[in-house]
This record gives sequence, structure tokens and C-alpha cells, in this order.
Amino acid sequence: MIRLQRVTKRFGSAAEALSNVSLRVDPGAMAFITGPSGAGKSTLLRLIAGLERPTRGRIQVNGHDLDRLSPRAIPGFRRSIGLVFQDHRLLFDRPVFDNVALPLEILAYRRPEMRKRVRAALDKVGLLHKEAANPRTLSAGEQQRVGIARAIVHRPVLLLADEPTGNLDPALSREILRLFDDFNGVGMTALIASHDVGLVESMGKPILHLEDGRIEARATTGQPA
Amino acid sequence: MRPGRRLLDTVPAWMEAHRDAARRSLQRRLQAPILSLISIAVLGFILALPAYLWVLLDNARALSAHIDHDPRIALYLDAVEPDTVAELEHHLESDARVERWDWIDADEALAQYRERLADPGLLDWLDENPLPDVIDVVPATTDPAALGALRDALAAIAPGAGVVSDDDWVRQLNSLHQLGLRILAVVGALLGLGAVLILALATASELRERQEEIAISRISGATHCFLRRPSLYGGLITGLGGGVFAGMLLLTGIALSRAPLEQAAAAFDLPFRLALPGASHLLTLLLAGLLLGWLGARLGSGHALRDAP
Ligand SMILES: Nc1ncnc2c1ncn2[C@@H]1O[C@H](COP(=O)(O)OP(=O)(O)OP(=O)(O)O)[C@@H](O)[C@H]1O
Ligand SMILES: [Mg+2]
Repeated sequence: MIRLQRVTKRFGSAAEALSNVSLRVDPGAMAFITGPSGAGKSTLLRLIAGLERPTRGRIQVNGHDLDRLSPRAIPGFRRSIGLVFQDHRLLFDRPVFDNVALPLEILAYRRPEMRKRVRAALDKVGLLHKEAANPRTLSAGEQQRVGIARAIVHRPVLLLADEPTGNLDPALSREILRLFDDFNGVGMTALIASHDVGLVESMGKPILHLEDGRIEARATTGQPA
Repeated sequence: MRPGRRLLDTVPAWMEAHRDAARRSLQRRLQAPILSLISIAVLGFILALPAYLWVLLDNARALSAHIDHDPRIALYLDAVEPDTVAELEHHLESDARVERWDWIDADEALAQYRERLADPGLLDWLDENPLPDVIDVVPATTDPAALGALRDALAAIAPGAGVVSDDDWVRQLNSLHQLGLRILAVVGALLGLGAVLILALATASELRERQEEIAISRISGATHCFLRRPSLYGGLITGLGGGVFAGMLLLTGIALSRAPLEQAAAAFDLPFRLALPGASHLLTLLLAGLLLGWLGARLGSGHALRDAP
């Protein structure tokens, strides 16, 4: 599903945010990325989502070679991915429901089906009662969960989540990861970045540890390729 | 688990997507009514001016058509020898282009003139009759080319005669009308271009305010068409509003200027009537508004969405 070969990313003339990273995530797998702040976790996820281009190296995602993705193919590629942002990136000019519905609108879902799916996603993150609220009025953890609902509402084949539990208490964090695990169980591949080493290790999934832009495998069954 | 599957899979879904875009665009406009009304007002003003010119020109052409019904050629004979006059009369009898002709004797004309004067004594000051003998020709044709030919034929027989056909000023009016149309085309095109640029600017700045929404939509796989669709509907809404507003301005302007214009025309003995614009004028105005609104939105959104990632 994801394959990076000797990928390096450098922003301007700064030090390399990622150096020679190679990794593989098989279809249907679920893996975590850990590492200290500034290690390059967000950068790695953004590269895989095609939001940044690597300075060197090759990235393949879901059968696409990102370097050779034509502009016409980009929307289709992005629709197959769900993204949870570290800073949520919700739209404050519309209620929670509309935020979550956005990917479905892009996919031209019809109203009744859209409503059903948005409600289901909000229910899964425990925020069904907040569907009419403006996201501005929500707590940081609630906003984060709206972002998660938006990322999974269209049932993507690949979920890329950047600190999805950063603002959640331990119980909720575990619940969200279990939700991802459920989706993973029905075929969604997931790659999740997190600080919370203890929580991540308790999931019993492969872990890719990033340190200073380099992969250090300390995986249970993870595979630096 | 195959999210692309539903994309445009049915015509109803596609129509719903368009209806959503239109509704969303309308909602956004209603949320910021002042800005939208300014756009509509600008477009309305810009459309109303050439439309008003157009109606004036149309009415002026109706004026020339009115005159056309009864073309006349007058031959002033003061410097013409009697032989030539006889030749003229002979020609007038035989020329098929002549319906009939009347000899207006100078003395007769003076007598008639005297009757119309408030103080006929004035004419006694004159040593001799200043009026020439006149032949008033009523042509059998109203075709401008045939009239011109007849006129030339008469002038050739009597080079000294003053030949005045009242289709002269019809011709002048026609060429003025042509000139007016050309000016209208240039002014209209320039104003239209200005309107498109202003609306493009408005569309681009509106899109810039929605930058985050556009960024998120892009990341979620929105296509260029999807992102610009609400703007295009917005352009059509502005265009519709602008067209309606321009129509109201036009009707008001004509109602206000009708009396003074007709009075001024009456002072020149012109049977000028300013008719209210017909349905076709108003429909054209509406279509022009829609076209300009759409073009502006297309230009503006194309530009604004191009620089975005
Ligand atoms: N757009 C950018 N421009 C310049 N430098 C950047 C940019 N994005 C990231 N970096 C740099 O790349 C390095 C890795 O950043 P990144 O955001 O990937 O770290 P992270 O592991 O996600 O950290 P955190 O846990 O704090 O989110 C950092 O040194 C950062 O300064
Ligand atoms: Mg980060």
C-alpha cells in the first residue's frame, strides 16, 4: 500500500527533515510512527499524502507512483485517502455536520446517504449530539474527533493520522485507536503518528521510530524495507 | 471501501451537486448581502448606459422609417431656362419612377405665404417675389437607390435647378444611425470588458476568503470544476441581478427623459416618440448580464484557483 525508497526531504537550505527513509506498509496493515518532536513524522505523512514532494527518492502509494501522478489523477488519488491533521483544520464557517460531510460532497453523495454516513461517523467519535454546533465552540479534544470523523466518513482505503489522540484523555485515546483498529479490520490500511509510546505499544502493531529524520526500527513485526 | 465508485454515477447525483453549488452560492451571497448588492449594482449601471443608447437609436430609426413613407423631390427653378423647364416637364411625364408632380407657381406660393403671415404688409417691402417656381415631385418608389437615380436624372437635365430630395436627411439620419450603432458597439464592448474585470476581481477576492475551505477540499480530492462551480453559479446570480437592475434603471431613465426628449424633437418638427423598451430589449439585457457575470466569475475563479496548491 505504501512504499518509500530512500526518500529525502529538505526544506530550503535547512537540515534534512527526512534522510534516506525507506519503509513499506502492506495493504490492510496498521502501523504507527513514533519519535520526538521535529523528528519528521508530519513531514513523512504529508509526503505519503502527496501534499509535499520529496527532494530525492521514490514514493508509491496505493499503486500510484507519486512522482508520475498526472494532475488529472490527483483528485482520484486523494479521495482514496483519509487525513487527520495535527491541527485539525476544521472550517469554522459551518457546523460540525457540514465539516464532516465535505468529503462526501466532493464524492457527489446524495443527501439521504450523506446524512446517514455523517451521522454514523459522528456517532463513532461520540459527537452525534454536536452535529449542529459550530466547531469553534468545541473543546480541543472534540475538535480533534470531528477531524477524525471527517477523515473516515468516506471510508478511505488508506488512513493517515497525525497525532489523532494528541488532545484526548487516555480512555478516549484508546477508544479512537480501537476505532481505527475496527476500520483496519474491514480493510482500511492505517499509518498513525503519535507521541504516546506507551499507548502505541499497547496496540501490538508495528512501530516505525523516527529520530532526526531517520527510521530506527523497533518494530514488533514492523519492516524497514 | 471504494470511494470513487459513487462519483457522478447517476444523473440525479450530478444534478444534486449542481443544485447544491447553486444553493450554497446563493446562501453565501445572502450572508454578505452588501457586497453582492454592490456587484449587482455595478453590473446594472454598466449595462444600463449602452442599453439606453440602444433604445434611443432604435427610436431614432423608427423616426426615419416614418419619413420614408412619403419621399419627395423638390426642383427649385429660379435659375432654369424655360426650354429646360419644358424638357423637365416632358421627362417627368415619361419617367415611370414618378408618381405625379405639381407645378407650384412662385406667385401662387407667395400668395399662400402671405396668408400665413401675421403681418402680410411685410412682403410689400420686397421689390419682387423672392420665391422660385417649384416643381414638387412625388416619386413612385421609396427605394433609396431608385430615388437617388431619379434625382440624378433630373439634375442632369436641369443643371441649374436646385434639386432637393427630402430623403437626403433620411439618408443622413441613416448614416448617423450607423455611426451611433458603431459607437454603441465600442462603448458597449469597453464597458462589458470593464464589468467582466470588476466581477473577476470580486470573485477572486471571495475565493481568497475561502482559502482554507478550498485547501481542505483539494486535499479531500476536489476537482477544479467542483471548486469553481459555486463561483460560476455566483456569477450567474450576479448577472441575473445585474440584468434585472439594469432593466429597472432603463425603464426609469426612459420614463424620466421621455417628455423632455419629445418636446425637444417637437421643437424641430420631428415626430419623435420614445417608446418603452420591448421584451426583446429587456431579454437581451438579461442575457448580457448573465453572460458578463459568468465570464467574470470564470476569469476570476480560474485565476484564483490556479495559484492555490
Ligand atoms: N514547511 C516547512 N518548512 C520548513 N521546515 C519544515 C517545514 N515542515 C517541517 N519542517 C521542518 O522539518 C522538521 C520535521 O518537522 P515535522 O513537522 O515533520 O516534525 P514532527 O515529527 O511532526 O514534529 P511534532 O511531533 O512536533 O509534530 C522540523 O525540523 C521542521 O522544522
Ligand atoms: Mg507533527
